[in-house]
Amino acid sequence: MHPKRNGGPSVQTPEIFWGVILWMTVWGVLGSVLLRRRYFSRDLDTSNVNFAGAMAGAALGPIGVAVLWARTPKLSGRITTFLGLTAVVLIAAAFSFADPENNCVANGAFRASQFTNGLIIGIIYGFMALGLTLIFSILGVVSFAHGEFYMIGGMLVYYITVVWFPGVNPLLGVMGACCLAFCIGALFERAMLTPMYTGKIDRPVEYGILATFGLAFTLQYFVQALHGASPVKVQRYIDFPRWEFPAGAESPLIETRRGNLTLFDTVSISNPRFIAAVTCILVLLALLYLLHRTWTGKALRAVSQDREAAAIAGIDPNRMNMLAFALGGMIAALAGALLVQAFSWLPQVGAIPAMRSFVIVVLGGLGSLPGAFIGGILVGLVEAAGTGCIPDAQKAASYIPAYGMIVLTLTLLLRPTGLFGRRFASGAHGQGG
Amino acid sequence: MIQLKVTNLEKRFGGNHVLKGVNLDVNGPELIGVLGPNGAGKTTLTNILDGAIKPTSGTVYLNGQRIDQLAPYEVARAGLGRTFQVTRSFRRMTVLENLYVPALAMGHMNQGRALTEKAMEVLEFLTIDHLRNEYARALSGGQQKLLELGRLLMLNPDVIILDEPFAGVHPKLMEVIYAYIRRMKAEGKAIILISHQMDAIFALSERLIVLNFGVLIADGAPDAVKNDPAVIEAYLGKDEEDAA
Amino acid sequence: MARIPHIAGLLLIAFFLAFPLVYTGANYDYVMHVLITGFFYAILASSWSMLAGYAGQFSFGHMAFMGIGAYGTALFCHYFYITEAPTGICTEFGFFGNWLVIKNAIGVTSTTLTQDCLQQAIDGWGDTVRVWRMPVLLGIILGTLAGGLAGLLVGLLVLRLRAAYLALFTLGFSEIIKAIISAEIDITRGQAGLVLPPLYGEGLNLFGLQFGQTDKIPPYYTMFALLLACLAILTWLSRSRFGLFVRALREDADAAAALGVNTTRYKVIVFTITTAMAAAAGAVQAHYVQIVTPNMLFLLQMSLVVAMAVIGGVENFVAAALGAIFLQIMLELLRTSFSIGGIEVDMTVWRLVFFGVLLMLVLRFARNGLLAPLIDRFARIGVAEETIAKRKARQEAQS
Repeated sequence: MHPKRNGGPSVQTPEIFWGVILWMTVWGVLGSVLLRRRYFSRDLDTSNVNFAGAMAGAALGPIGVAVLWARTPKLSGRITTFLGLTAVVLIAAAFSFADPENNCVANGAFRASQFTNGLIIGIIYGFMALGLTLIFSILGVVSFAHGEFYMIGGMLVYYITVVWFPGVNPLLGVMGACCLAFCIGALFERAMLTPMYTGKIDRPVEYGILATFGLAFTLQYFVQALHGASPVKVQRYIDFPRWEFPAGAESPLIETRRGNLTLFDTVSISNPRFIAAVTCILVLLALLYLLHRTWTGKALRAVSQDREAAAIAGIDPNRMNMLAFALGGMIAALAGALLVQAFSWLPQVGAIPAMRSFVIVVLGGLGSLPGAFIGGILVGLVEAAGTGCIPDAQKAASYIPAYGMIVLTLTLLLRPTGLFGRRFASGAHGQGG
Repeated sequence: MIQLKVTNLEKRFGGNHVLKGVNLDVNGPELIGVLGPNGAGKTTLTNILDGAIKPTSGTVYLNGQRIDQLAPYEVARAGLGRTFQVTRSFRRMTVLENLYVPALAMGHMNQGRALTEKAMEVLEFLTIDHLRNEYARALSGGQQKLLELGRLLMLNPDVIILDEPFAGVHPKLMEVIYAYIRRMKAEGKAIILISHQMDAIFALSERLIVLNFGVLIADGAPDAVKNDPAVIEAYLGKDEEDAA
Repeated sequence: MARIPHIAGLLLIAFFLAFPLVYTGANYDYVMHVLITGFFYAILASSWSMLAGYAGQFSFGHMAFMGIGAYGTALFCHYFYITEAPTGICTEFGFFGNWLVIKNAIGVTSTTLTQDCLQQAIDGWGDTVRVWRMPVLLGIILGTLAGGLAGLLVGLLVLRLRAAYLALFTLGFSEIIKAIISAEIDITRGQAGLVLPPLYGEGLNLFGLQFGQTDKIPPYYTMFALLLACLAILTWLSRSRFGLFVRALREDADAAAALGVNTTRYKVIVFTITTAMAAAAGAVQAHYVQIVTPNMLFLLQMSLVVAMAVIGGVENFVAAALGAIFLQIMLELLRTSFSIGGIEVDMTVWRLVFFGVLLMLVLRFARNGLLAPLIDRFARIGVAEETIAKRKARQEAQS
């Protein structure tokens, strides 16, 4: 999964890198705190100022903080994005000065390939997180069983196409996995989550967390008990045809081999990931159609915005809850079903994707569908940068969960509502004063 | 002598200008009724006095201490107590435990006999002493309102803000709340009473203030306010029958 | 009647105190081991119940603090030594006439290829220079402090987070701790684990009885004493104003603040105390099993603690502790695999499935757990009757 590195684990002058990071941190914290006070006392909108202040401090140091302090501009998305990007570029520059021989500094092709692969895997991450955010926006529950749905998705494909009906078309396997996951989700919701809606439970949010936690636990060990702990893998679903564009050129722009797709003769994308990402985009489009063009989808969105009003309008919120939970589970299962051809599969495989999905939905804003998707891509890119650039490859792999956590911590500190989050002033759902 | 001084209080939420320079002086024991249509800024005013939100500008002084930048618990310790529009009892604690919290938090009492006796006295006054060991969630809505009032008695603040104390209360319990307000007045506390129930407000308050769109449009004796043309136009005009 | 839980509690304590002395059945060491592990989980479950059940802070990072405690003492005992003479090659400081030596970190290869600086020095000295390990108790105390300090920091970070955000953040924190321990192989030796000295290195001589290093009785009573100490602290806390305040905080933080409760402070305090308890349990357990690996931080462990607390009763720490001991014993009893009709049933995994199903059933049908309502019932005997009688008396007085 990770390309071999040619350089050893040697950062030449780490002082530069850590010095810059320290400088950025100090000014980021200062900017965030100072500018918040400034905007507050000037009676301006303070919802963005923590983030923008931190980014200004990190990107431009005292100058950025001073300019914002003096002029207190309206913090539009454009300014904050610009500052954020500058900060990222600065980190990258510091890194490349500190370790000029690092593969992801010296090797352009490697960089392009990491970027593309990060983007592609990010699409799949985002798709999976979409299920989690869908469940949250309708039921107000963070499903701790999301990773297990992902796991059973892959497992079911393996069992359907390899064990039970060998030789069956993988498409049927994927669809079967989705259907089964949908049913498990619906059943679980009916059996376990219904008491949440009647107000009989004192702390519904915690109840939901514990109930899905129980489901995760049960599912994981159920699969392990039935299947054992041996890893499985599924053949790739589709072979690319042998194709080149422009045909016959020495270094074609696009070149496909059975298991691989090569762009510009430099960036190589493996077939399973490419297929998975394309399918995710297609299903995403279908989902958007469902949500925006059909009655059921409109009902779902109505319930997510205002339960009572939707109920008055003749929508049964209970049924929407079931649908949302089942759909969310199915989305995770589909992500798993698509990735089982790329990774080897174990009953414990769900833990890291679940954690990643949590990070993504918090980054994108709990309950925001576009946020989940963009958050997924960002996390995919961050992970690609993390795994590609850290000099010690083994450490880099161990720290995969940590990259997401850094993003999560920064989000919670700087902009708890996430990129596209709805504001939950207080109350049961999430953060608040 | 109790002194609450609100000066030029302003609050904006983004572009929404909720309070536009409210001034209010409360000196000594007093019962002030607050009227205002929905969205007039009553709840925002309460939340600022209580410390739950900070004002955009303006100051609040309680007995010479500036309280508008304090945290809610510091405001409570400085001597300002409030009830909530929607009852917020500690549902899974017993009635007695509900009453212990403010007394212990203020630090003027310790656990023991004296505390229990004081709490029982409060419960008897509120006529819910038979429920002392029940969980608060087992109480009816009206009883929970009484419990919330009881917590304020245990907190023993100088200034009391009652936010809709009569909403959803059985007429029989209304008597208890009336008696409660009279008792607080007799104990020399300043009471700010926010309610939509005109009859109660006019029956109880000595002074009436009217908020409309974040502006304090009237402040004076109830009869004078009632006949104030600005008030009639802004608020009473619409439901004169209720007010009469 | 209301005293029944107290009497039952005293009887249970007496039973567990006497058990190692009177038990003569089979597999003595194994039974003791199960109970010691049961006490270990009981400490975790009861402290988690204080955090989640009483204070309403559903943290999923409890095992991370346990791990900080365990690794705190492990690293301390692994890297710090006292010698009579300076080694000349290690980092070292004068220490009351002796030398405090900090070994260099050499990672997993140490046993076969390279030797750490202290070992090199010892090889050079022969038997002429005495070298002491650090006292185990000091390591345990440091581990506990480290866990409590981490709890304090996390508590400060999550102050503004509620419910779902809190659960996610703490879960992520625990993943980070695990990642760091797994990745920093140079220092923590990764999956190879760190070996610790036993709780009582020289064995123990008590009341004329000599206990060897591998004897189960000293660790049994140590862990049991730690459990009792934790329960005593928790009881004291829950009966003092602290317990009242954190429950008020759980029910309605805004209302509690409006009544003068410094919610911020109590939230941080409850985090610090409960995480320190988890760390203490982890440190003692680490010395008992004598090895720490990142596997002890798997989500499974956290799931077990959560399930134990929920099944016992998350809102009563005694119930949570009892639930933990009971379920630990159950889990061990269910371990034996069997076969039906020629199909081998691997109970080592199936028991966890039953465990999960039990967790869901308890959640669904007995939300306060299986033991807590029982205790609560005894404690609240007569409440309903009293209410009814008093109400009647009032009505008669009025009419």
